[in-house]
Amino acid sequence: MENEFSRVVNALPGFVWSAAPDGSVDFLNQRWCDYTGVSLEDACGSGWHTAIHPDDAAQLLDYWRSLLESGQPGEFEARLRRFDGMFRWFLIRAVPLRDEAGHLVKWYGQNTDIEDRKRAEALLAGEKRCLEMVAGGHSMSGILEALCQLVESTASGCYCSVVLVDPSGTRLEHAAAPSLPASFITSIIGRPVNVDSGPCAMASYLNEQVIAADLTSETRWAAYEWCPMALAHGLKACWSTPISSTAGKVLGAFALYYDEPRTPTPLHQSLIEQFTHIASIAVERAQSDAALKRSEAFLAEAQRLSSTGSFSWRVATDEITWSEQLYRIFEFDQGVPVTLELIGSRVHPEDVPMLSEMIDRARGDGSDFEYEHRLQMPDHSVKYLHMIAHGTRAQDGQLEYIGAVQDVTERRLSEEALGNVRSELAHVARVTSLGALTASIAHEVNQPLSGIITNASTCLRMLAADPPNVDGARETAQRTIRDGHRASDVITRLRALFSKKDATTESVNLNEATREVIALSWSELQRSRVILRAELGDDLPPVTGDRVQLQQVILNLLLNASEAMSGVDDRPRQLVIRTERDEGGRVRLTVQDAGGGFEPQDADKLFEPFYTTKSGGMGIGLSVSRSIIESHHGRLWAAPNDGPGAAFSFSIPRGLEDMMGAHSLGAIRTPAATEAEQVMRNP
Amino acid sequence: MVIRSLVSVVDDDESVRESLPDLLREFGFAVQAFSSAEEFLASDYVGRTRCLILDIAMPGMTGPDLQRELTLRGQEIPTVFITAHRDETVRPRVLEQGGVECLFKPFSEAALLEALNAALSDPPRSCTLGG
Repeated sequence: MENEFSRVVNALPGFVWSAAPDGSVDFLNQRWCDYTGVSLEDACGSGWHTAIHPDDAAQLLDYWRSLLESGQPGEFEARLRRFDGMFRWFLIRAVPLRDEAGHLVKWYGQNTDIEDRKRAEALLAGEKRCLEMVAGGHSMSGILEALCQLVESTASGCYCSVVLVDPSGTRLEHAAAPSLPASFITSIIGRPVNVDSGPCAMASYLNEQVIAADLTSETRWAAYEWCPMALAHGLKACWSTPISSTAGKVLGAFALYYDEPRTPTPLHQSLIEQFTHIASIAVERAQSDAALKRSEAFLAEAQRLSSTGSFSWRVATDEITWSEQLYRIFEFDQGVPVTLELIGSRVHPEDVPMLSEMIDRARGDGSDFEYEHRLQMPDHSVKYLHMIAHGTRAQDGQLEYIGAVQDVTERRLSEEALGNVRSELAHVARVTSLGALTASIAHEVNQPLSGIITNASTCLRMLAADPPNVDGARETAQRTIRDGHRASDVITRLRALFSKKDATTESVNLNEATREVIALSWSELQRSRVILRAELGDDLPPVTGDRVQLQQVILNLLLNASEAMSGVDDRPRQLVIRTERDEGGRVRLTVQDAGGGFEPQDADKLFEPFYTTKSGGMGIGLSVSRSIIESHHGRLWAAPNDGPGAAFSFSIPRGLEDMMGAHSLGAIRTPAATEAEQVMRNP
Repeated sequence: MVIRSLVSVVDDDESVRESLPDLLREFGFAVQAFSSAEEFLASDYVGRTRCLILDIAMPGMTGPDLQRELTLRGQEIPTVFITAHRDETVRPRVLEQGGVECLFKPFSEAALLEALNAALSDPPRSCTLGG
């Protein structure tokens, strides 16, 4: 029975023991003695304490005492030393035995080997720590060093290193080796990636694991004398494993070294596999971060060089994000939260209405927009910005604008200088041609006027004679009338002074033609800070006529309107261009400005040649415009607005049938002073 | 019978050719009108003309051309230039060339009379102004 019990106890997996109520051990099974290498005699009493890991002993004994006092069962995890000095983790359980009276008579215990579980737990915790470092954006070398330390603590007695393949793919770079001597690392890095320069170079080159179990008998890498170098550092084994990206590209190699010959166990291999996986994540992450940073730096530099900032604007929440350069353009501190109010505080007061209009419109339809506006900086200097934005729908369906803002101040200033020179030139050219035209007109008008005055003088003399020469007076008076008609004819002819080029007739979509003109004059209107609203009627029937001539009229009306508002600073320079169906199958286009307007009695004079209310203009545009419209069987007129400004409209018939018999279209001409003189001299 | 001084009018403009001779006749002159310098030169009135009223800008031979031609022929006639081009630089040019006066169209009766008086006063010939 005694023998039978002994056999069972000694056959059980794990250790079995018993102790007196005071805790002194009186039995340990053979497995315990075999594992620790301590005899039963030496272990009894408190002799077993020597097998406890020094770091665990104090806590275990405290706990054991608390159990003895309370008489309660319990369990504790501690490392026990093996006979060869290795420690393994055990779960130690103790249970009290009581007699029928309830008195504690004996403690029985069992120890279970939990080394594998503890190792897996530690490894998992270490991996978790390393992955947290990756996610937390720690430096790549810091992460790889922590990984090395984790492996070194898990697989005791080893030294770890990580080398990376450089960007060119030809040399090894140092990454981490927390426990290896610096001189060893120095002699590894910079080695070419091939099969000859060493195990890590070879593993990287072949993308497969290289095991050198005993460097003392190793024959590879002789050309680079790698083994003697490693042996000189006391290393006798090296296992090198490639670290690959998810795409399969070799990033580098991870090596374990031992100071004695060794071959990897399955445990080592699984450790290596886990390590290289985490390392590849860390390296890939670091490399893509670096690439992103490079690309960001590149973009920032490009933005700086081109004076262009970028932004995003989530319309629903007014969340606005700016690039660094945009902060510099607006001269706000980096990172200040951007709001529409903040932007508004920098926008030039005169451009605020335009900006509000733009924002309102953007909120509405989400269409792309392009604007030029000015900033007024705190030192009262002015910046000119060109903004272009593209509306997109985010995944949640919310409208978001992505845009770029370029500081075009320098370009604008030079354009303005150029524009001034150009307008001076244009003015000179205009005055010159006007002068020539005026002289020519004066000559033609002075001739009949001369006749009129001379005839009148003669007439008076004839009537004053005694007796009065009534017949002669009548004749000269008739000549006076005829000369009066001649003068009138000259004016009529003048109005018909257009080029001989025949107009073309085609079907014209007035909306399309208008949009083209708007596009052409857009920058000019922007420069004049005009807010243009186009209300182009749907379903507008086509008209028949000369597209270019009609566009000249529209352009003329637009530029006149813009010019009429050039002095307006107390209200938005609002310009509306509208197309709509008119009565009688006609199509009407109206250009409405908010300028100074005109007196009602001047409404017709506006269209006379040479009539102008503008100091710089010559006013021939409107009379030519009217001629063009009339040749299209249409009508051009002006009306003062209810509020400030005026509206100029034309109305022309739709469709070809209305244009039949429009032979006079061929007479539509454009003004040319030289032609004018020629026509007048050869009437 | 008073021999009226002959005033010749050379102008390409019909209004002037029609109206001016009547007024000059009212003044008491004999008048001949020509539509071009060439027509005047070809006529037999050149030697009899006491005063020439001459348009400056005409197709073909201009007023100043005609005056130069007359000078070359030794047939200088006191000349009053008239023009519808109100160009102030023209006046000194034609006066320097020997014109008596330069009138801009339309001109007044008074200005015309004054110019004619100046033209006819030197050298004095038998003439009667105001008929």
